[in-house]
Amino acid sequence: MTLLVLEHVGIRFGGLKALDDVSLLVAAGEIVGIMGANGAGKTTLFSLIAGHQKPGSGRILFDGRNIAGLRPDAINRRGIARTFQIVRPFRSMTVRENVMIGALFGTGTDETLAAAQIDATRILEEVGLAAEADLPAGALTLAGQKRLEIARALATRPRLLLLDEVMAGLTPTEVAAARDMIRRLHKDHALTILIIEHVMTALMELGRRIVVLHHGLKIAEGTPDEIAASPLVQEAYLGQPAA
Amino acid sequence: MTGPRASSLAIYFAAAAAMALLPFLAGTYYLGVGLALLSWIALAQSWVLLSGMTGYISLGHAMFYGLGGYLTVLTWQQWPLWISLPAAGFAAAVAALLLGWPVLRVRGPYFVILTYGLAELMKFVVIDIEAKLGKFGRLLMGAPSLETLYWIMLALALVATLATYLVRRSRFGAGLRAIRENEEAAETLGVPVVRFKLFAFAASAFIPGIVGGTMALRTAYFEPFQAFNPVVSFTIVVMAMIGGSDDAPGPILGALLLVVLQELLWVNAPELYLIILGLALIGFVLFVPDGLHGRLSRKRHGSDGRSRERPREHPA
Amino acid sequence: MADLLSTQLLFAALVTGALYGLTALGLNLVYGTMRLLNIAHGEFVMLGAFAAFWAFTLADIPPLVALPFIVLLTAAAGLAIYRGLFRGLLRNPRLAERIESNSLLLFFGLSIVLQNVAAALFTATPRALPYLDSIIRIGDLGMATDRLATLIIAASVALAIVLFLRFNLLGLAIKALIQNREATQIVGIDVEKIQRTSFALGFGLAGLAGGLVSMLGQITPFMGFPYTITAFVVIILGGLGNLGGGLIAGLLLGILETYGVALTSTNYRSILIYGVFILILVIRPQGLLGGRRIAR
Repeated sequence: MTLLVLEHVGIRFGGLKALDDVSLLVAAGEIVGIMGANGAGKTTLFSLIAGHQKPGSGRILFDGRNIAGLRPDAINRRGIARTFQIVRPFRSMTVRENVMIGALFGTGTDETLAAAQIDATRILEEVGLAAEADLPAGALTLAGQKRLEIARALATRPRLLLLDEVMAGLTPTEVAAARDMIRRLHKDHALTILIIEHVMTALMELGRRIVVLHHGLKIAEGTPDEIAASPLVQEAYLGQPAA
Repeated sequence: MTGPRASSLAIYFAAAAAMALLPFLAGTYYLGVGLALLSWIALAQSWVLLSGMTGYISLGHAMFYGLGGYLTVLTWQQWPLWISLPAAGFAAAVAALLLGWPVLRVRGPYFVILTYGLAELMKFVVIDIEAKLGKFGRLLMGAPSLETLYWIMLALALVATLATYLVRRSRFGAGLRAIRENEEAAETLGVPVVRFKLFAFAASAFIPGIVGGTMALRTAYFEPFQAFNPVVSFTIVVMAMIGGSDDAPGPILGALLLVVLQELLWVNAPELYLIILGLALIGFVLFVPDGLHGRLSRKRHGSDGRSRERPREHPA
Repeated sequence: MADLLSTQLLFAALVTGALYGLTALGLNLVYGTMRLLNIAHGEFVMLGAFAAFWAFTLADIPPLVALPFIVLLTAAAGLAIYRGLFRGLLRNPRLAERIESNSLLLFFGLSIVLQNVAAALFTATPRALPYLDSIIRIGDLGMATDRLATLIIAASVALAIVLFLRFNLLGLAIKALIQNREATQIVGIDVEKIQRTSFALGFGLAGLAGGLVSMLGQITPFMGFPYTITAFVVIILGGLGNLGGGLIAGLLLGILETYGVALTSTNYRSILIYGVFILILVIRPQGLLGGRRIAR
């Protein structure tokens, strides 16, 4: 069943075409990796899906309905959650309170603070932050704050989760742990995941399908093996065709 | 988010009881001071609903105070009080809704200056209207007694304090605080940011509208320069900064301190009073941004071994 | 009400515009280099005006002669504030963050303090400075000498500063700092020195405006705030940190105000200014002339 459809989506910033005629189909339950050089348009893509910006052209269908132009909170209530590349914790609130916000406001909202607290505690355990639950969010390490981003997004009970470079800045051990956690969450919560990553190994291991963006255009789409072998992709990344 | 401590609630009740007994114990002068104290508590609590919770610092709350006063004065002896006062509140709230739509899109220091500018604009518009009507200050005949007004103000202060207390512990309040911490992240997590901000704005205007009306009756005189005086806005902000703008006890503390200061200084040295207020604003913003209540509650939580919250930064 | 097309009205508009441009320039310098919204700017105009008044009343020094000293006085005050308040406080990163996000409230507190210190010291009685009261007539146009002097001095100083920013090394460094703080640091410019200079310059300009204004109207401890508000309207109109834009916007606002008041009445002056202010902030906060969003 197709969950997310992008039809000829494009957006301009001033004179620059940040995204140019991008089309994409995502089936429920997939993990799709998005890769591309900096400035390729990856985060812009997430921005459009999550509602922070309106596409200049094209349609974005979630569960069959057009969501382009809706505000981010409305989109979240439809079932899409995202993390931010540069983490945005609610610094003065505790880790648990951060996650409670997601529980209180996403889809199928918790109405009471008490219910949200229970849900938040459970999610923190899944994500491995249970020990830090009562610390102020600002006190976490970067790896911890990235997990918090994921936990918060998860608390909104999404069907589609957009992960934006959650592994940036992590050590190889941390990367492996994050990769395993994402796999686990994907299974336990029946999620569909779109994941942007520069950490190639993790991306290739997680994504069953990879999409490559370059200068706002989708230049390739396929399995990790196909992408790795694609001369087009190699040229975009390395600047010359492989011998 | 812990439950209420018995000692805190006891303090609230004691304070409310003390204020309720005042008319029976005190003479006219101190009853007047009590009235002033209650009015500031009501104003500061309402301000905290918006600015404390969301971080959108309003420096123009005098506009709701003045608007409510103006409406009450205009309908004096035409509408009974139990209609005109709530109407003043609703008018202020509606004004906030209408103004809030464009105004709340502006952030940080822009919002601060904008609210200041709006209050001033409203002041000059009312001055102009009054001038066209040929009125230069209005006298009110047959205003209610000080004691009646006192009871009204006590009710307002209680409602405002209760509102802040409840909101702070509600889902709505959690959403507002998320907006304060990081508006974009909050919106991404499903917090209906636009709706919540508007509602907080309107809610924060309602009681000040009624307080304005009540105070107009207290002085039995309405004059736009006084009713829309920016010093009112300024005083509210200083009270909340000194007392604490995160929870209900803060404004009470702040109002108490400032009324004491006023009593000591206003008659003989009004400039000194304002100088101290200005210095207090600077000092507290820099060194005690949580206000006194924030500091005290952090110390308390710290010794309990529970959540040690970092001081909240005011995005003014 | 003067005839709308008269040169008289145009002259008045130019004088007002020049003064607005001058005050806005000072405000923009401080904001552009340090991102501080000095809402106490008008109080330094007020201090400059009082300085001129006391110099004249106590020592018979004419305002035009006293001007350079007034500028030095307020510039020194600016430096003192910079050294005392900011350099010390900005060293602490926690405080630095608070200062930047709360500079408005902080300066607001400062303005209240300054207004009331002045009121306590000088009393609130309005003062006036009778000087250069004569009128020069050229054809239909009658120009009060004090206004003419104001126009000439304000315009010359504004021009001098524009040239300074364009051709002088320090001036260019100031422009660089306004445009890109990090880049300026990287190329080895002494940011500290530029900030000091901008502060001194900004406050000095406020004092200059105050000295000029002292000849034109009443002097009271509370006269500063309208100048602050107009300065803010102007710099927002022209785009925050856009020095040239501020000058143009100052002129524009002066023209708008003068002709607006002529069309309606003096009562509408405040309504006009605050109205424009609110409209700009809500509709186009980057200003008419501001391109990039510098703040947010």
